[in-house]
Amino acid sequence: MNNSRRTFLKSSAAAAAASAAGLSVTPSTQVLAKTGKQNIDWDKAPCRFCGTGCSVLVGVRDGRVVATQADPDSPVNRGLNCIKGYFLSKIMYGSDRLTTPLLRMKNGKYDKNGQFTPVSWDTAFEIMARKFKKTLKEKGPTAVGMFGSGQWTVWEGYAASKFMKAGLRSNNIDPNARHCMASAVGGFMRTFGIDEPMGCYDDFENADHFVLWGSNMAECHPVLWSRIAARVLAFDHVRVSVLSTYKHRSCDLAHLPIIFEPQTDLAIGNFICHHIISTNRVNKEFIAKHTRFRMGATDIGYGLPDTSPLQMKAAHPNDGSSKEIKFEDFATFVSDYTLEKVSKLSGVSKKSLLELAELYADPDTKVMSLWTMGVNQHTRGVWMNNILYNMHLLTGKISQPGNSPFSLTGQPSACGTAREVGTFSHRLPADMVVTNPKHRAKAEKIWKLPSGTIPAKPGYHAVLQDRMLKKGKINAYWVMCNNNVQTAPNLNEETLPGYKNPDNFIVVSDPYPTVSTSVADLILPTAMWVEKEGAYGNAERRTQFWYQQVDAPAEARSDLWQLMEFSKYFKVEEVWPEELIKKKPEVRGKTLFDVLYRNGNVNRFPLDQTNPDKNNFESKQFGFYVQKGLFEEYATFGRGKAHDLAPFDVYHTVRGLRWPVVNGRETLRRFHEDSDPYVRDGSEFEFYGKADGKAWLFALPYEPPPEVPDDEFDLWLCTGRVLEHWHSGSMTQRVPELYKAFPDAVIFMHPDDARERGLRRGEEAMVISPRGEIRTRVETRGRNTMHRGFTFIPFFDATELVNKLILDATDPLSKQTDYKKCPVRIEKVA
Amino acid sequence: MKLPIPNFLKRYWQLLSRPAAIALWLILAFGFTAGIVFWGGFNTLMEASNTEAFCTGCHEMKDNVFEEMKTTIHYSNRSGVRASCPDCHVPHEWTHKIVRKVQASKEVWGKLTGYIDTRAKFLEHRKNMAEREWARMKANDSRECRNCHNFDYMDFSVQSKRAAQMHSTALASGKMTCIDCHKGIAHHLPDMSGVANW
Amino acid sequence: MKLCHLKRWFLFALTAVVLCHYLLPQFAIAAGNDKPVESLRGPAPLSEEKKAPALKKFPKERELLDLNYVGQPPLIPHSIRGYKITANDNRCLHCHSWDNAISSGATRIGISHFRDRDGRVLADVSPSRYFCTQCHVPQINAKPLVPNTFEPVESLKTP
Repeated sequence: MNNSRRTFLKSSAAAAAASAAGLSVTPSTQVLAKTGKQNIDWDKAPCRFCGTGCSVLVGVRDGRVVATQADPDSPVNRGLNCIKGYFLSKIMYGSDRLTTPLLRMKNGKYDKNGQFTPVSWDTAFEIMARKFKKTLKEKGPTAVGMFGSGQWTVWEGYAASKFMKAGLRSNNIDPNARHCMASAVGGFMRTFGIDEPMGCYDDFENADHFVLWGSNMAECHPVLWSRIAARVLAFDHVRVSVLSTYKHRSCDLAHLPIIFEPQTDLAIGNFICHHIISTNRVNKEFIAKHTRFRMGATDIGYGLPDTSPLQMKAAHPNDGSSKEIKFEDFATFVSDYTLEKVSKLSGVSKKSLLELAELYADPDTKVMSLWTMGVNQHTRGVWMNNILYNMHLLTGKISQPGNSPFSLTGQPSACGTAREVGTFSHRLPADMVVTNPKHRAKAEKIWKLPSGTIPAKPGYHAVLQDRMLKKGKINAYWVMCNNNVQTAPNLNEETLPGYKNPDNFIVVSDPYPTVSTSVADLILPTAMWVEKEGAYGNAERRTQFWYQQVDAPAEARSDLWQLMEFSKYFKVEEVWPEELIKKKPEVRGKTLFDVLYRNGNVNRFPLDQTNPDKNNFESKQFGFYVQKGLFEEYATFGRGKAHDLAPFDVYHTVRGLRWPVVNGRETLRRFHEDSDPYVRDGSEFEFYGKADGKAWLFALPYEPPPEVPDDEFDLWLCTGRVLEHWHSGSMTQRVPELYKAFPDAVIFMHPDDARERGLRRGEEAMVISPRGEIRTRVETRGRNTMHRGFTFIPFFDATELVNKLILDATDPLSKQTDYKKCPVRIEKVA
Repeated sequence: MKLPIPNFLKRYWQLLSRPAAIALWLILAFGFTAGIVFWGGFNTLMEASNTEAFCTGCHEMKDNVFEEMKTTIHYSNRSGVRASCPDCHVPHEWTHKIVRKVQASKEVWGKLTGYIDTRAKFLEHRKNMAEREWARMKANDSRECRNCHNFDYMDFSVQSKRAAQMHSTALASGKMTCIDCHKGIAHHLPDMSGVANW
Repeated sequence: MKLCHLKRWFLFALTAVVLCHYLLPQFAIAAGNDKPVESLRGPAPLSEEKKAPALKKFPKERELLDLNYVGQPPLIPHSIRGYKITANDNRCLHCHSWDNAISSGATRIGISHFRDRDGRVLADVSPSRYFCTQCHVPQINAKPLVPNTFEPVESLKTP
């Protein structure tokens, strides 16, 4: 990038902005312009927040970030950010940054009930290694665990996965993406046999109709929403429909706002399929050539412990199996979802249902369906993902410009790290799974490890990890890059007890003190965002890189450094059984660092290949270009397997590329001959994730949610995000402008619901579920318009831990929690 | 001593005492009572139909415009002085009120024929209906607004800069009236493209 | 005891208290992380339900708020209660559009807003910039939850 040109542009823009902002252009500015002191080093980085993957330019001077701006050259956001993105410059500068490891100590020794005391990294890792080794020795690899993140960089997730699955030989590693994207993954794997969207953001400029399923893009994916707005407001024929359980900002643009009863999206989807079939608008040729039909197992429970009454009632708990059926069987199955019936069940008018169904049915309307947490955080989330694909597959509206079922993501690298690297308890890189011996063998080969290193049994997923901590079945636990004690469901009963369990040693790595660090035994201070070299992968399969641009404060170290450095504290003999070592005797006496990271792959690239103009703390520490080594080893998993990544260095020069990148070309749309090099010539479509190239449509019914409002808990509660804050607010609440824009969580409710309970706007309410209670303030107006019986509380506020109210029911297949519908009671705080 | 009774009274008394005139008595009495009943009833009806409860008695109003109003400052605010439907939509002064009430019979017809009995129909006609209200308010110089918001007593010094500026010029000169700027303050706006001066 | 002694004692005590008040926290910081490590919840235990803070108010009107850097969207210096931005109408543009800004005395929307995705200059605000509150937000009057040590460049610092 030409810095000088940018600098020039910036300085002239500075004057313009200064005068526009009502500031006089002081003589000092004129002087600066001559002395050149106004120079700022600008470099690109993807935004730290959501899964959109906007690019920003970070301005650095004297080792500190002094500005950020939207990247005009990024195809994702073209010079536009949302309010969070514009204030990225401040996220690293909260005055309470953690700068040294802190161990709970009493009388100079570790004590679970002690006070946090600064210790050196060596002391921290010493005690941590001791705890992990003791646990491994006493209970084996299933008693250690790690809770990771869709905010890890690609190589952090990769290094973590390797450390846990191969190093400590435990599959108990799961990312917080389990709470976020697991149902989407389940949907992709079941329907297509390969993860992640086939379409891309270019579809925004090509679709005629956008349908949001339980998504509030106006607040949660604002920059993508602006791409939709650009289309809807500029073209008469372009429309947007918003399906939601309450009225929010996205409805302000909607041609067709549809408010439905929670959970009935399943029925609405089936009605649409029925409508497509009954009006004879099935794309018969497409269906015959490219699809198969399956009948899924039903009555599958709610992912609760086997002893829970709700789970015991289920006929086929956790059953994800299905049987082959014919199109006619599928047609008969969905014909049960008549207009009459679905309108009654969902509370949506027949006219709206028909209008919506027509959009999908009309062969001339290009439809882009979009969804995130409303569909994924759902006790039938995988099913709902499947049903959305059903609608697109019946009409063949897929993998073409503008015809695009698009699963959005919530975290910056939910795709790039959590999913593609495979940091889930059952996964390996490139969509492989630990249960498949061939997949394990492949991983062991690439990692140069003896066969049998990776355990075959899936580890504990997120919610199960909490349950196992509580039971004392996991005793050494490392939480990285997330704030699970604020975000986990039913946290009072299911999460906290595990952290407080005296048998357990809990390590939390974070840049800031959070609710999670407050109940940790050891806190590790973390370098964040542009304090390290990184890579994220966004929702449209775009992998984006950035350089380290500033140094982390004091002793704060990146997750990557922490993982790799910690691996030096383990000798192979201390963690691997003798029979495994015998298969590869040369590992004897080595550390896990040697085996995992100094394995000839990861340490392949010398330090001089790093960018001489940028610092690279980790590489300097370890003596080789660690990020490149990890990335290139990781990329060998996917190359030639439809997950091809470009060579490492390329990514530093571009604004990201969408995989598969074959012969230097990115892939816009997968599964279609025109754009996907993996589709054989002449086949037009090929869903090659499945052995026979055919996508599966699933016949799946509506099944009710685990809990519905009753006399005691009479209101629905939905939780979620607001525009100004991201997730648990540990970064955005420390940016004064964002805090002042939305300072505290409130409960959005209908004024009449409030009045009935003796409450009015601003008064304090106690929100009660069977699992706990929180105190908050009533909001009866503002950005959300609630209808009677429905309430919403955002979860960013550390002082109002709303997720303690949520039932830890999950989708039985994806194990993702349902945060979107929970019956509560509201009382006035006297 | 007896007081002398004037002649004309005597004659009148005699007139009324004649059998044929009893009918006249009755008519008068009946007329009087009927007058009271009718007038009272009419007024009671007028009053009853001039309440929020009456206006929001049908779902067309309750689920659309009334629901929208609940989040606005005209429904809930600092001092609790609030407007109900007729405060803005029915003239307070008698003659105008009767005229408006006669016009309202058309709305009864609308109700009976289901003119806006679904949300979709309501949205379809929203602009029409809004434009009628704006025209009415424009024509009467925002009379109903002024029942509460009296220009003579506005304190510009506590208004926002923009408001003070507009009120002290355009509104003061009579060039513009309240509704010119304050559309959509109690209900959502229809598509505003093509609306004059907007 | 004589009065002047009392007075002296009082002054001494006061000095001591003041000194402690100012110096002790500094020592605590200087000594590293001896201060308790608190999340944004403060010292309240997780099981405790603190009184929810009162709704904070957005001032009706205030002075323009400083920019931290070039390219930062200006913050909204007034309350936006009841402002609707829908497909039907955009309340913000009533004052901030180029044709209304001069008569209303409001800040004109930035020129960047007149370009589309492909950089073409348009005749009116780009529809992709239509939802103002995606980037521009009003501010309550309150102290930040935690201080932020970000520093803008000199030319944008308020003296």
